[in-house]
Amino acid sequence: MSGRIFITGYGIITSIGNNADQNYQSLIQRKCGFGSLDFLDTIHKHDLPACEIKLSDEQLCELAGVSPQHGYTRTVVLGIIAAKEALQMAGLTTDEIRSAGLLSATTTGGIRELESHYYELQNKDRHGDFELYADTANPGEHSERMADEFGIKNYIATVSTACSSSANTIMLGARLISNGELHTAICGGAEALSKFTINGFNSLMILDKEHCRPFDISRKGLNLGEGAAYLVLESEEQVQRSGKKPIAVLAGYGNTNDAFHQTASSPDGTGAYLAMRIALDKATLSSSAISYINTHGTATENNDLSEGLAIEKLFGDKVPPFSSTKPYTGHTLAAAGSVEAVFCLMALQNRVIFPNINYKQKMEELRIEPQKELREEQELKNVLSNSFGFGGNSSSLILSVV
Amino acid sequence: MNKMSYYINGLGIVSPQKTYDNTDFLPEIVAYNNNVLSCIVPEFKEYINPIQLRRLSRMLRIGLTAAIICTRDSGNTKPDGIITATGYGFLNDTAKFVSEMLDQGEKHLTPTFFMQGTYNALSGLVALTLKCNGYNNTYVNRGFSFETSLRDAMMYLDEGKMQSFLVGAYDEADEVQYKVNSRVGHYKTKHTNSLQLFNQNSTGSLQGEGAAFFSIESWPGGNCWCILKGIKMIFKPGSVQFLEAELKNFLANNNLSVAEIHIVISGLSGDVETDKVLSALTTQTFRQVPELRFKHLCGEYCTASSFGFWIGASLLRKQQIPWGLQFNNASASFPVKNVLLVNQYMGRNYSFILLQACE
Amino acid sequence: MDNNTQTVEELIPIVKAGIIKQLNIDMTPDALDEDMALFGEGLGLDSIDALELIVLIDRDFGIKIGDPKEARKIFQSVRVMAEYIQENREK
Repeated sequence: MSGRIFITGYGIITSIGNNADQNYQSLIQRKCGFGSLDFLDTIHKHDLPACEIKLSDEQLCELAGVSPQHGYTRTVVLGIIAAKEALQMAGLTTDEIRSAGLLSATTTGGIRELESHYYELQNKDRHGDFELYADTANPGEHSERMADEFGIKNYIATVSTACSSSANTIMLGARLISNGELHTAICGGAEALSKFTINGFNSLMILDKEHCRPFDISRKGLNLGEGAAYLVLESEEQVQRSGKKPIAVLAGYGNTNDAFHQTASSPDGTGAYLAMRIALDKATLSSSAISYINTHGTATENNDLSEGLAIEKLFGDKVPPFSSTKPYTGHTLAAAGSVEAVFCLMALQNRVIFPNINYKQKMEELRIEPQKELREEQELKNVLSNSFGFGGNSSSLILSVV
Repeated sequence: MNKMSYYINGLGIVSPQKTYDNTDFLPEIVAYNNNVLSCIVPEFKEYINPIQLRRLSRMLRIGLTAAIICTRDSGNTKPDGIITATGYGFLNDTAKFVSEMLDQGEKHLTPTFFMQGTYNALSGLVALTLKCNGYNNTYVNRGFSFETSLRDAMMYLDEGKMQSFLVGAYDEADEVQYKVNSRVGHYKTKHTNSLQLFNQNSTGSLQGEGAAFFSIESWPGGNCWCILKGIKMIFKPGSVQFLEAELKNFLANNNLSVAEIHIVISGLSGDVETDKVLSALTTQTFRQVPELRFKHLCGEYCTASSFGFWIGASLLRKQQIPWGLQFNNASASFPVKNVLLVNQYMGRNYSFILLQACE
Repeated sequence: MDNNTQTVEELIPIVKAGIIKQLNIDMTPDALDEDMALFGEGLGLDSIDALELIVLIDRDFGIKIGDPKEARKIFQSVRVMAEYIQENREK
């Protein structure tokens, strides 16, 4: 099926807002979600602050309109909240939802619940509500649970490629539509904080105990975050039939592997460079057409150097304004790709470039610096969003005005 | 509609049967008695260098070995993309990390277990080993994981810019998962001889594991095992009538009728409840066709259809049905051309995979 | 014997055994030369191994290393590690 891939709706919940509007307001007011943890029982609640959504599991269930007694993991509930908003914004009919594909990403799924009941679950003589979480740690569970919630059966896929996961769902959605298999794809990711991820990242010594500083010379690592975001992709044919006004076009995308190390990025940013290059080729755009880059920018020494060098190599003298929004939301892992794609859509709609808050001083190895201030009234045509993760998985998306 | 053919030009599999040597096709069958079927592994040193080997968990060794067997078989070490599939990932490493975390009060934790527990660790490792910067993805959707990965590769081959993919699937039989998933009826409550799996008339199946890699290309190589013609996934079909209608539609889209299927490979699991719909389908639709089963050989796991896929590819290439696979009396007529794999996982994820003999 | 009074020479075989076990190295302690470079040319350890050694040195000797870069200086060789442990151990 030829034709453009349109984005007609999005939904989001992060530590800076429970919906799109709240997220946007926080972005322009420089309000971040960083702080100690109130809802996760870990020894690190104060010494490893993160970007937690300040709602208990019960409160989230209420927001999602689901019962807290039915074994919904926190990841699933976040997913439902964001996906509902996206479906509403897109104005999909019941039939369109039924025949849609749900492509979702997570790295943890129900691991937060598994770790809370780890020994009870293994003991066949123990019984209780926790049994509802017996089969939720696998990522596929969260997609099937969400699919059941929305009555989707046509196509369900789950991606787990670390930090690039939800960017990959968006790409898959676009390809399924281009291939004629779907007219509608609901794409994104959901990730709840867990002791597993906090301790895992801490053992790799890439967490910053303070508020992270992407692209800053003194950066020490990332802050974790939780959240969910979904985009509704529709075929051009379906959008024209409905007469609705799409929000943006998914103009290009690229997926590569850095093939350097299991967790570190190559010093010259090969994977990052190739992912951005392929996305530009797919969009048939030259690098000069990019108005803003929402970087992966985790604030680890390794990523920011690798990504910064790749950007300099690709854009030469003409590096567009760029920023990392991770100081706002933390690194939402599998959800990061879709969270930041949503921020890119907001940038296009509102003609703003978001700042790289908490940044003070340039890295020695780079010529370039991120945007420090919010820029309004911007002429934005094409926005690039990067997501690079463990296992070398590197993905880039290009979102453009219609 | 799939107009293209997708050639399986290489494969590698490590499973609870002795399958890592591609020259053999199940000359003997290994039986298990304690509900858990674990991989029979080769000497890893023959496939993986010692520096890489030391850090790898058991399942990563098994997965990487299967990938290397496949690339040696196909002769292609530079695929355009690498896609892996899994249902539960690297359970052993995840369990080790979680146990350490809980038992040690979140102190002195081993980063290696965390890192190796990530679902895409194998696709990353294979890319690293082959120095492949191409497309790379990992699908983790329960009983559709392998099928989704194959479909992804097929779509790229359709688009025409890429010509070869390495698609792999793996799942691990882990002790913690056995205990936890027993609570939701995944496994037999009594120890069952694997070869008697389909005589039990009880719920639950056996816990299995394995890793299988396939080289899928858009041209027929000199080492062609079979042709992949099409795949269809159906989520919660609800009734055998619905499933049958989907099947007929799927075959028609591939210019075939039910009567032209020479062999059916059925993913029955031995769970009398979740097998109901699939059992009814194969019984009523394929009465005259040899029905082969495979989960008594590999156990049940999310990506077990990859073992079934290997059976299909092997029988199409070698034109033989090993002893112990066929479960009805219909005679096979050789040469066999069209093989249909029908799988179900936990009564939710149903798939059809159509394979054909190479020209 | 009180562990805290172990000499560097006494610590060397303990450190060797610890490294071999923690990093799953297929080598006998005798074959691991205490003056051989552990990273780069030599044993060829990498950044993940460095993190594993940080865990080992904290768990077995009570020494906390907060900066992976500082760790590389301490982990130059078995002997350098043993010397550092002897000077800084808490247990």
